[in-house]
Amino acid sequence: MPIRRLAPSVVNQIAAGEVVERPASVVKEVLENAFDAGARRVDIEITGGGRDFIRIADDGAGIPADELALAVEAHATSKIESVADLEKVSTMGFRGEALASIASVSRFALESRTQNSDEAWRIEVTDGVIGSPAPTAGPPGTRVEVRNLFHTVPARRRFLKSETAESARIAEVVRLLALARPTIGFRLVSNGRCLLDLPATDDPRRRIVGVLGEELDGRLIEVRGEIGSPADGTLTSVWGLVGLPETARPTAKNQRFILNGRAITDRSLSHALKEGFRGLVEPGRHPVGVCYLEMNPARVDVNVHPAKTEVRFREARPLHGLVRHAVQEALQEADLVRNLTLKTKGDPSADESMASGRATIAHRMPPPGSGSGVGGASPSSPFSTSSSSWFREEREVARSRTASGVNLDRIREAIGDVPMPNAAPRQPITSAAEVLPTLVGSDAVLQVHQSFLVTQDAEGLVIIDQHALHERVMFEKLHDRCAAGPLESQRQLVPIVFDADPASIAALESLAPLLVRLGIDATAAGPRGVAIHGFPTLLLTRRVDPGPFLSELLERAAQGEIDRDDHEAALADVLDVMSCKAAVKAGDRLGEREIAELLAMRDRIDREGSCPHGRPTHLRIPIAELERRFGRSPA
Amino acid sequence: MKLVCSRDALAEALAIAGSVVISRTPAPVLLCLKLETKDGLLFISATDTEIGLLLGVAEVDVREEGVALIPADKLNQIVRASNDDSLSIEVSKNIATITGRDSKFKVFGFDPEEFPGVPTFDTDDFEFETNCNTFRRLIGRTVFATAVENSRYAINGVLIERIGRNLRLVATDGRRLAVARGECTTNAEEDLTSIVPTKALNVLNRLMNDPDEPVRIRRNRNQILFQVGSGPGAPVLSSNLVEGSFPPFEDVIPKDQDKKVHFKTVELASAVRRAALLTNEESKGVRLAFADGTLTLSSRAPEMGEAEIKIETEEYSGDPIEIGFNPSYLTEGLKHADSETILIELKAPNKPGVIKVGTDFTYVVMPVNLG
Repeated sequence: MPIRRLAPSVVNQIAAGEVVERPASVVKEVLENAFDAGARRVDIEITGGGRDFIRIADDGAGIPADELALAVEAHATSKIESVADLEKVSTMGFRGEALASIASVSRFALESRTQNSDEAWRIEVTDGVIGSPAPTAGPPGTRVEVRNLFHTVPARRRFLKSETAESARIAEVVRLLALARPTIGFRLVSNGRCLLDLPATDDPRRRIVGVLGEELDGRLIEVRGEIGSPADGTLTSVWGLVGLPETARPTAKNQRFILNGRAITDRSLSHALKEGFRGLVEPGRHPVGVCYLEMNPARVDVNVHPAKTEVRFREARPLHGLVRHAVQEALQEADLVRNLTLKTKGDPSADESMASGRATIAHRMPPPGSGSGVGGASPSSPFSTSSSSWFREEREVARSRTASGVNLDRIREAIGDVPMPNAAPRQPITSAAEVLPTLVGSDAVLQVHQSFLVTQDAEGLVIIDQHALHERVMFEKLHDRCAAGPLESQRQLVPIVFDADPASIAALESLAPLLVRLGIDATAAGPRGVAIHGFPTLLLTRRVDPGPFLSELLERAAQGEIDRDDHEAALADVLDVMSCKAAVKAGDRLGEREIAELLAMRDRIDREGSCPHGRPTHLRIPIAELERRFGRSPA
Repeated sequence: MKLVCSRDALAEALAIAGSVVISRTPAPVLLCLKLETKDGLLFISATDTEIGLLLGVAEVDVREEGVALIPADKLNQIVRASNDDSLSIEVSKNIATITGRDSKFKVFGFDPEEFPGVPTFDTDDFEFETNCNTFRRLIGRTVFATAVENSRYAINGVLIERIGRNLRLVATDGRRLAVARGECTTNAEEDLTSIVPTKALNVLNRLMNDPDEPVRIRRNRNQILFQVGSGPGAPVLSSNLVEGSFPPFEDVIPKDQDKKVHFKTVELASAVRRAALLTNEESKGVRLAFADGTLTLSSRAPEMGEAEIKIETEEYSGDPIEIGFNPSYLTEGLKHADSETILIELKAPNKPGVIKVGTDFTYVVMPVNLG
């Protein structure tokens, strides 16, 4: 076949492959046009998952009749004029490809009426052939209709997923764009059924709750920060709302970043968010949150990919720090102690407690369903009921962790001393003498079953997991101590040698400088061994066996569980393991002095709401809840 | 079985035998002591399957021979709590009746046949002999330095090494090493090197009350046997040996230490103890600075405070040096040095320090990097 120039319609079809991958891409492209047209409200209607029909109506500026034909031609746009404009793109689209691409692979109609015109005009494109504009009736704004998407490209049509899957994708795109534009009202109707109805609002909080779920209501905290200066155009700011640690999800799906009004995905930003939550969210869970970033458009390249969800920052690192610090600061100010409400099975007031708890007592109740309807609990033990429901939530965490493929359970097993409320019950306490709690000091702290400390604060009864709290305290102390200089290290008379695989040895080589800071002096001993020459006195005092400890640490590093690229993150990862090993365990009897010290240290550390593994260290039963349970106040 | 026994003598024997018995085991017979009369004596046996003890009680009037298996803790408690001068013990059908002036206890026992035996010691058949005084000191100077529940099993015990008449006991936990030397008499041609569990030596220590009594030692396949004293009722302790190889300890005893200084043991121990007052978990080390005829010990715990203690050193040869140590390692070594003065030898801040008492005791301690 001789070489020849392709017909524009063929070019458009090929380009359409890039821009229009599936019905959801159509929705995204057209909605972004609506945003650029200044719409206040958009209505999306689809049938057959968008394959059969998509109609998007906005109340934006509209397109003049004489520009309609141009609008559906390739590389026609009102948004930029020259390459120089690309440097400072502030509109959503600019390539001028979208409508032409869509029109080339569907039966397409564009209908528009400008705000100060009396009539609407309609133009149809069938199989790439642009018809003539004709007057029609319609309100100001633009309507785009797409029928039989990909009917000319059967290959692509075959690759589409089921109708449900495609409508789910569309809903996802609409949600994302709705987060980016809270001031625009959104409505999505699929096969005549309303999937989303988000009224325009000036309060992003309402939009976020509307999109991410009602259960976040009252459980979001505000994140705020900025770097750079307006003088040289480097000002970058972040504002957002992130869910309290307890709202974290098994997937990162509910993490959204909106850059200059554009929803983007960026691994570095997700990482920054996660780092901000370090120690507060269990491994395998992902914090929830929406962050709005504003920066000079010249400092970011959005023209990386036609879909524009990926961007390139001129300087990514400061941005990472901005998000991380903003999240950290917000969390440090927040009260992270989880409130518990008591519930018993068959309690007539249970439903009501749910409702009243929601409305009045606790902004931070466990998610719905985690507390109610726990079978087999006896009405005489309300506390055991609520704790078991709590643990059920923990179990779900464990399950999701396994599902995520990270073999953390094995590591916990190896660590051996992480109290796992969901694991088999600890050895029953046999003698009556051991069951008696210890009453300590004038502040009346009870140690219960040698695992939990019970005390009070201004808001109510506080229950502390001694291991989790001590672990958290250790972590903070070690973290501070490391900043001051290397940890004290006891040298070995005879090196402790253990077998290690090459991946562990490679991990050792990259971690060695960090380990020295932590008082661990270890070198490779031959191709398959590691020798420990020095080990932190702290861990030795706490009876941590050096060989198994380092062996496990290196295995974790080899499996990528320790961030070897980010020094601070790696330090925190290793300190996690160290503090867990060094902390008192559930079942350890604590003396009066130890309890007092533990509680005193608690007051000095940040974020004692969770242990480094993200499990809570404290639970609180608000006094109002106790009063209600004892019938002392009207519910 | 029927006998009348001095309460004091019985209480003492039961206390030692009871220390062999383990407190938690699924096999109830292992919680028991075996009582058996023989040649006008009462023999008590105890075992935890690793260690076995057989000891005779002489202050006893045997009325009727017999054998019984009685739970150790109850027997112990009854005898200890009694205020009689003598107690009568009668055992019939595995039930022991312990009768005092105003008391009568019935304790249900077990069939003596179920009890695993403990080895006996033929007094003439020993490999070497020393006295309690020497052996007690050797054990005291080493047993504290053993590892507690270390995964390297071999260092959870004390190495006993006899080459000719030279006896050495060695213990280490991988961070410090104690070597104690003594002499013995022997007719054996073959030398001996065995690792003995810490628990056995602790029990043995309780048996060696009379410094002049002999201690005879013999190895029997994978066991070591000790007989303390002489005569038919002389206690016999047997113990399984710890398997595995002991670290090459000769290599880690430094031979080229160039900084040496003598101290009064009590004075140095007191200084270390006081400096240790201002240490905590994260800052455990005490800094020793040698210079100009003065040793300065200092410690510093963040958010707690600092300590500084100065000792005049009689002589100090070498350049100034600063070195950190875990104070409890020093204190333990000084406490068991069992000598009025000791010699400290050093080389460099990252090299081991040595405490010596003549040639009888060498204690090597690895330093702490104070960070």
